[in-house]
Amino acid sequence: MTKKAKPRTSAFNAPARRAGPTRRPARGWWRNGNLMLTVTLVAAAVIAVGAFLLVDGTGSEAEPVTGAADPRLVREDSHRLDVAADGKVTLVEFLDFECESCGAAYPSVERLRKEYAGRITYVVRYFPLPNHTNAQNAAQAAEAAAKQDKFEAMYAKLFDTQKEWGEARTSHADTFAGYAEQLGLDMTRYGADVTAPATVERVNRDKADGTDLGVQGTPTFFLNGKRLQVSPTYANLKKAVDDALAAGA
Amino acid sequence: MDRRLGWLLTTTGAVGLVAAFVLTVEKVRLLQDPGYRPTCSINPILSCGSIMASDQAEAFGFPNPVLGLIGFTVVVTTGVAVLAGAVLPRWWWIGLQAGAVLGAVFVHWLFFQSVYRIGALCPYCMAVWVVTIVICWYVTLHNFGRGRTVAKYHSTILTAWLLVLTALIGTEFWDFWRTLL
Repeated sequence: MTKKAKPRTSAFNAPARRAGPTRRPARGWWRNGNLMLTVTLVAAAVIAVGAFLLVDGTGSEAEPVTGAADPRLVREDSHRLDVAADGKVTLVEFLDFECESCGAAYPSVERLRKEYAGRITYVVRYFPLPNHTNAQNAAQAAEAAAKQDKFEAMYAKLFDTQKEWGEARTSHADTFAGYAEQLGLDMTRYGADVTAPATVERVNRDKADGTDLGVQGTPTFFLNGKRLQVSPTYANLKKAVDDALAAGA
Repeated sequence: MDRRLGWLLTTTGAVGLVAAFVLTVEKVRLLQDPGYRPTCSINPILSCGSIMASDQAEAFGFPNPVLGLIGFTVVVTTGVAVLAGAVLPRWWWIGLQAGAVLGAVFVHWLFFQSVYRIGALCPYCMAVWVVTIVICWYVTLHNFGRGRTVAKYHSTILTAWLLVLTALIGTEFWDFWRTLL
């Protein structure tokens, strides 16, 4: 094909030249300095990545630090699922009950909590994302359960059942009320609490803190004020917690 | 006009078409079996599954790859027609231009959603992003760029833009990439 086309102007080229400006055939696109510049650009990018890797070799984990005592991380009324006796290591998770990656991280977090019970404080903050139809409902359901000291049970229930209600476009508030009933909550109280302005406000405050701290997606973990940059697999979380415990000891 | 544009449209269109086709098939499999693990779910970041299950994967109420099946077919057809020696009228190229621009806008939105909202990447989708941008760029140059400086530095500009997108992905998932090395 190309053999035939290269040496002479193809029949196809002629009408185009007639139609377009005749100064220069479109072939000009492929000329000269362009290729050189393109190659240079790619080479520069490769070198830049290499340089970053070298520089970054040691201390990247330390990037987005905020003081461990930053009040935006843990408020008085934040839900602490575990409390460390010495209070030295605190893991804060900003989560969205409908977010799939949060659901994926959930078993790892639970395993970690079991393993490190009493040695780490684990705090859950709401961060419902707007593209999840039921994220806000779920957060309010958890908060209403919290009013009856059932936050942890509802938190577990919501993640355990995430596949059944997640990614829907219709409200699952009734589904969540069903869970509340299964957990033995006082349904009159739950019904009032779940949509109460105070509950909405409480969820919004968590989210505002998260936004302030630079949370963009979920799950986002802060370990002693340091945002974890790794994906929240069990191994990664464990390593981070081990490091923090070792540093605190 | 140049035979190279014909080749470019044919190959990029074919790549996009294959990607859209695979995504469509994977979507059907995923619907048949919610536990199905798409072939492109490799790790937490490179994960088609979480992308395909998102709301953004059905931006217009139906799976996005359906748009690709239609759009890339037109691109391949145009490319092959050019190679076959057809002289397409101006309005054809303007129509292709409109489609290419809409496609480019859409893939940039998907890029943003994927990187900053869903937090995962899907290899087939990224192939679609790249070819859509390439197609849009060269169709635009073909229609409006003749003889201009931008046309002279066509691949430099294109590469620069693709590198910007790559850099955004690189920084967003920096620590993850680092663990792979």
